[in-house]
Amino acid sequence: MEAISIWPPLVGGLLIGLASAVLWIGNGRIAGISGLFGQLLPPARTVIWRFVFLGAMIAGGLLAALAAPGLFPGFSAPTPELVGSPVWIAAAGLLVGLGTKIGNGCTSGHGVCGLARFSKRSFVSVIVFFSVAIATVAITGVV
Amino acid sequence: MRETLHPAYLAVSLVAGLLFGAGLYIAQMTDPLVVLGFLDFGAITTGGWNPSLALVIVPAIGVMMLGVRYAGTRARPLFEHKFFHPERTDIDTPLVGGAVLFGIGWGMSGICPGPAITLIGFMPENLWIFLGAMFLGSFLGHYVLEAFNRRELIASAPAE
Repeated sequence: MEAISIWPPLVGGLLIGLASAVLWIGNGRIAGISGLFGQLLPPARTVIWRFVFLGAMIAGGLLAALAAPGLFPGFSAPTPELVGSPVWIAAAGLLVGLGTKIGNGCTSGHGVCGLARFSKRSFVSVIVFFSVAIATVAITGVV
Repeated sequence: MRETLHPAYLAVSLVAGLLFGAGLYIAQMTDPLVVLGFLDFGAITTGGWNPSLALVIVPAIGVMMLGVRYAGTRARPLFEHKFFHPERTDIDTPLVGGAVLFGIGWGMSGICPGPAITLIGFMPENLWIFLGAMFLGSFLGHYVLEAFNRRELIASAPAE
């Protein structure tokens, strides 16, 4: 396995933190992605900014894919692929949607924003979902 | 509540979204194998463990902490009438149960909601299955939560 450059993850994390801070200071909104898309469906009332944010996320990823090799020498990112059979992927997606809705947040809302706000609920959530995810990989392996 | 449609408000949403998606891609959190490579703690001893996720989350939380601190000096955000603080502080069953379900799905796939959305730009095979299932799960979760809240309400009602 080749050595992992520490710069892309550090810079990427910095951008994610900056995005969360900009949305909080500018609009007073938590950059929690599960909540953002979960409230696109009725009876949602504030949908336009959510579509703008989510659309911009897609564009941001594509722009970064163009810029990253020039910014980080040696940056190589294979086109991401999903792991597992279609049934496995469907089960995983269902659990992610269900769990983040019931648990009121995911890696961004609880993990980044919640921990930065010293939220007790987020702290509990992060400990639980990280532990369960690590246990899941230990049991199923990387399929 | 009326939707805020101030141009600056939407510009903030746009800029934050661009930064978020770019950050996820540069950090390689859009690659399920990188995320699973972090969650695979068994590989710490055997070699091949990928620490990327830890390197991502530390600066992300650090910068957001500074943002939260600055926001704390303001009465309101720049373009909204108030901060939408999550108000609850109690640890309840849905919070923990939801985190368990999410943890299983995340460990199975290496995909959480942010990367799932950002990956739309790259449309890997079977992504639409994940996205469709995720939306369905979120939709069903709404009713699970409602059913739970109804039961709590009944349980907490004073006895006749």
